Amino acid sequence: MTVPMPTSSRKYDLNFARWVRDNVAGGDKMNMCMQCGTCSGSCPIGTEMEDGPRKLFMMIRAGMKEEVLSSNSVWECTSCYRCVVRCPRGVPVTYLMQGLAALASKEGYAPKVENNYFSRYFWKSVELTGKTDERLVPTAYFFSFGLIEGIKRSLGNLKIAFNMAKAGRMHIGLPHRIKDTKGLKAILAKAAQIEDQKS
Amino acid sequence: MMSKKKKMTYYPGCSSQGSGRHLDESIRAILPDLGVDVVDIDDWNCCGASVGNIGGGPLPNLALTGRNLALAQEQGNQDIVTGCAACYLNTHGGNEKIKADVKKRRDVNDALGEAGLSYDYDLDVHHVMEVIVNDIGMEEVEKQATNKLKGLKVAGWVGCQTVRPFAGTETGGKYATYEDPTFLDEITEACGAEVTDFAPKTNCCGGSVAVMKPEKTLHLMKTILDAAVESGADVVSTPCPLCQTNLEMYQDAINKEFGTNYNMPVVFPSQLIAVAMGKDKEKDAGLQRQTIRSKKLEDMAK
Amino acid sequence: MSEEVFEHKPAAYLCGGCGIKDALDMDALETAITGGMMVSNVKQSDAFCSGKGLETIKSDMKSGDVNQAIVAGCSPRVMVQEFNEVGGQVFRANMREQVIWQQPANNEDTQALATDNMRMAITQARKSEPPQAHWDGATSLKLLVVGGGITGLTAAREASKTGAQVVIVEKTDKLGGWAGKWSKFIPENAPYREPEDNPVPALIAEVENDDNITVLFDTIVDRTEGGPGEFSCRLKNGSGTNWDIYGAVVLATGWRPYTSEDQKKFGIGETDGVVTDIEMEEKLSSGDLKDVKNIIFIIPGDSDRMVYSSGVSDKVAIKQALQMTQADPDVMAYIIHEDFRSHGLAEEFYRHAQEKGVIFQRGEVKSISSDRTVTVDDELLGLEIPMSGIDLVVVSTGMVPNSTNIDLEATERGADQLKSDINPVAPIFTVNGTQVDEDLAETAADAEAEETIPEGGPLLNLQYRQGPHVPVLANGFADSHYICFPYETRRSGIYTAGPVRRAMTASEAINDAQGAVLKAIQAMRQANEAKAVHPRAGDLSFPEFGLDICTKCRRCTVECPFGAIDEDPETDYPVVNPTRCRRCGTCMGACPVSTISFKNYNPAQVSDMVAAGTEECPPDKPRILVLACENDAYPAMDMAGINRLEASPYMRVIPVRCLGSVTLLWVKTALEKGYDGIMLLGCKSGDDYQCHFVKGSGIAQERMSKVGDTLRSMMMEEERVQVNEIAIADSERVTQILNNFGKQIEDIGLNPFKGF
Repeated sequence: MTVPMPTSSRKYDLNFARWVRDNVAGGDKMNMCMQCGTCSGSCPIGTEMEDGPRKLFMMIRAGMKEEVLSSNSVWECTSCYRCVVRCPRGVPVTYLMQGLAALASKEGYAPKVENNYFSRYFWKSVELTGKTDERLVPTAYFFSFGLIEGIKRSLGNLKIAFNMAKAGRMHIGLPHRIKDTKGLKAILAKAAQIEDQKS
Repeated sequence: MMSKKKKMTYYPGCSSQGSGRHLDESIRAILPDLGVDVVDIDDWNCCGASVGNIGGGPLPNLALTGRNLALAQEQGNQDIVTGCAACYLNTHGGNEKIKADVKKRRDVNDALGEAGLSYDYDLDVHHVMEVIVNDIGMEEVEKQATNKLKGLKVAGWVGCQTVRPFAGTETGGKYATYEDPTFLDEITEACGAEVTDFAPKTNCCGGSVAVMKPEKTLHLMKTILDAAVESGADVVSTPCPLCQTNLEMYQDAINKEFGTNYNMPVVFPSQLIAVAMGKDKEKDAGLQRQTIRSKKLEDMAK
Repeated sequence: MSEEVFEHKPAAYLCGGCGIKDALDMDALETAITGGMMVSNVKQSDAFCSGKGLETIKSDMKSGDVNQAIVAGCSPRVMVQEFNEVGGQVFRANMREQVIWQQPANNEDTQALATDNMRMAITQARKSEPPQAHWDGATSLKLLVVGGGITGLTAAREASKTGAQVVIVEKTDKLGGWAGKWSKFIPENAPYREPEDNPVPALIAEVENDDNITVLFDTIVDRTEGGPGEFSCRLKNGSGTNWDIYGAVVLATGWRPYTSEDQKKFGIGETDGVVTDIEMEEKLSSGDLKDVKNIIFIIPGDSDRMVYSSGVSDKVAIKQALQMTQADPDVMAYIIHEDFRSHGLAEEFYRHAQEKGVIFQRGEVKSISSDRTVTVDDELLGLEIPMSGIDLVVVSTGMVPNSTNIDLEATERGADQLKSDINPVAPIFTVNGTQVDEDLAETAADAEAEETIPEGGPLLNLQYRQGPHVPVLANGFADSHYICFPYETRRSGIYTAGPVRRAMTASEAINDAQGAVLKAIQAMRQANEAKAVHPRAGDLSFPEFGLDICTKCRRCTVECPFGAIDEDPETDYPVVNPTRCRRCGTCMGACPVSTISFKNYNPAQVSDMVAAGTEECPPDKPRILVLACENDAYPAMDMAGINRLEASPYMRVIPVRCLGSVTLLWVKTALEKGYDGIMLLGCKSGDDYQCHFVKGSGIAQERMSKVGDTLRSMMMEEERVQVNEIAIADSERVTQILNNFGKQIEDIGLNPFKGF
């Protein structure tokens, strides 16, 4: 991210809209939103969101930083991209939702959000092995809720895991790894460094 | 119809080694006969999926794609094909971003330099469906599908990321519309099977949210199953590995939650093509990898 | 005017083309013409509109044996050019669109309809003489432009390009008006995305260097007499007055800022850093905006402002916001609006502003504090949002039309006129305290009109019987036929252009000026040849008054939609100003003694045509008279024929110049001659009128509302006379209305006078 997040005690901070415009992927297109609501209306999971994308954009414009970054909406996005192809003003809604989620994650908002955990474990798996391990990510993610909750959630998936293993679709044994894990790690570290340097 | 064999670099993606093995196996089985030889990207890595952006941040996520592209370029500079919707979305999208944005291109190459790699951005990334529709063509599929799947009723469920957001764009191949893609039904017909009247063609199953919080997305999958059953389908055909796995493995949960009794097989179009081309039912079509099996389809397979 | 007695030499030309001869018995028709209709010269051809057929008519005219051709064939709406050039009067009996295309072939009723159409056309010719020019003296081709802003300057330059002499009258001491002060213009050129340079300085230079154009500063028009081609205007400045003659007038008096009470609550002129968009232009021109980083543009939602803004100030806000972000990309510009209108090509402009980071926020501004915290009730969030840290607040205004001169005192006479102008449902009005129709009660619309009378004195001080003002609509915009003749006023030869007509951008005003000036030049030239301007462009006829039986009732002088008729100050008799006349015949329809007539269109003529339509009617057959406005209703009926919509064969249709020209005499004749029903078809009246003569249709409705008494006195049902409004595209509707009317009449029963 290029500019540090503006800090302000104000509930409505006009700088926030400017900041999103300049620093969140797709943020420059947020202004194009004409509030038609096609995105929210097209969202398969809109009913699960506190604020649909339409309202979220309006909140950004109004400078409601706290509410935007702690809204569950950015985390519920299934990345189906229906809003992106339907938006009459070319707003890359899904990308913006992901960008806002990344921002919220980085800024320490909504640490208890489930998808946030999932994303982190997913990324850890990728950093470590270069690949997603379909077993480890969900398991680690489930246990991130605590031991009891983890066992409960894992057991819920046990039958599924058993079926998948029987069909040869669950890898047994050590996680797959790419050969050059060292190289990948260096690439990712450098990329993260470049991104941070821009501030 | 292709006059001479096309060579492409193949990006299998993480699911090819787990939940989507039958997708990978069936693609490898059919492509060469249809005129496309594929060579794997050597030492490919994960694409970043739907959450890499959030977990790792935009540039590291893009660097994942950059590494795959750089490896492919090193290997012979042939266009990339992938069967996984998320891999396509990230790799194609990332490639276009790198092509369009000088700054991103420089940043990605700076990062790739750490491992002695570089990418000079002249590859294109295609989805296997796009290759079948645009490069191979339905005529060729129909010609090679000698073991017609007569009487098999198929609901064609395209899902999201196979078509969205790129299938209608110039670089995305312009092979499908967003609201009513027809290619999947055309493949079904080319295999000699029957297309059912199935409306939620491009509905979302919940994707990775379904993995994390199935309770929030079961209703999405139920809508799809309802329509498939109502259309009289024997199987649902979908090109996306996550869609296939979600819809298949959550049927028990759906039955429990909604009191239904669904047992609908979900297969890949590449499996249908493999069976129709008379390929081996297990080794090539991977039918044994279904957790919900279709006897009707298996009986047709060789 | 010629004193020679016109000798009628009619000939009938029966065209058999387009399937007519297959559907009608042409020989029987010819026999009827030579017999009962007493026209012995009858010819038949397969096409009289071209080739040999047309040549036949031409050579008959040339030989002098024929001076009136009655052509039975297609509708009078088609082949107009061809028949205009045959060298004499042509009358048309519609056999194609309204007969064979709508009726069964070779049928008794169809043949009767065709025969009656022919009889009516021959009757029309018998009561018609070729109109002659009322004027052959030299007329002025000099144009008077009132207002030296962008509209007036453009009008003057465009007129000069055609070779006309132009005088610009400007009430201030410099040219350019408001637009001259603007820092940039709303884009008028593709791709319509960036503010454009102000063209006014170059335009002023062009006008100043033009030998055809004279500019008079500090001058107003003090008094105007006459009409197109002969406007006599008294110009007044500090040093005195001066008379001159002009051919036409372009009114480009522009606008003045609108600021409502609602807007004043925002603290304009009180709170530091809260300005109007007009003041903002000055700031942008002077570059006095260095420290402004956060700026809010407010587009208030009050409905009056919308009337006076019409999207213009919305576009201005876009432009100013873009100028701010262009000067400094760090500027955050918010446009807060309840409604936003950037119609037409400005959609691109709006999109561009969004791309450049201008944020559009929908909501109502509740308050602005002294530190410029703008509290917005955001409609889409349902929250009141205090937007703080704002450096400048710009409030949109609007454009009040200068359709009056607010520097002058209003007069009672002027106010009376404006009040009746504004009331769209007042077809007959009070002028000079003379209430023409005593039955007319004060309506709610009158009371409303009273409240919206624009202040100020007249712009031209017209010495017209109907009052000194150029007629206005509610809110003070100059009255014009907004669809067909937007620059027309209800004073012939006087054309409004620019924001006096409606709120518009400077670029739109340029287009407006170009359009208006072409109309003004046409008016001058037509006046020079004694011809009417549109919609009856080229018509030489004009109303003649038989003063011997005139009762000085003043209906004609008051009802003329164009104020063409004055009263002789000594005798009170009507005096027509032919160059002001549009030839609609509203005066003719108004005259209770039928003493107003045109050479080729008069009460007796149509009365006879009405009678001709039932002359041969068997006592058991119904007949319905349709008096259809030639501008919209008649073409709609033709279109019904083109679409082959089935119609009753009992209709006898007479096109009229305007419903306003329909006199009660015709209705009376129709009832006496045994018509069972009468249908009048005119254009839309009211404040969104489509009447080509503005008031004609409304006046006709008012008149017909009183026919009920007449009907009752004849022991007949009121439903027998009906009026309907028809638009040109209403072919299906008009057919349905007529067919329903036919059924209704059948239910009531035939006219008891039938056969007497």
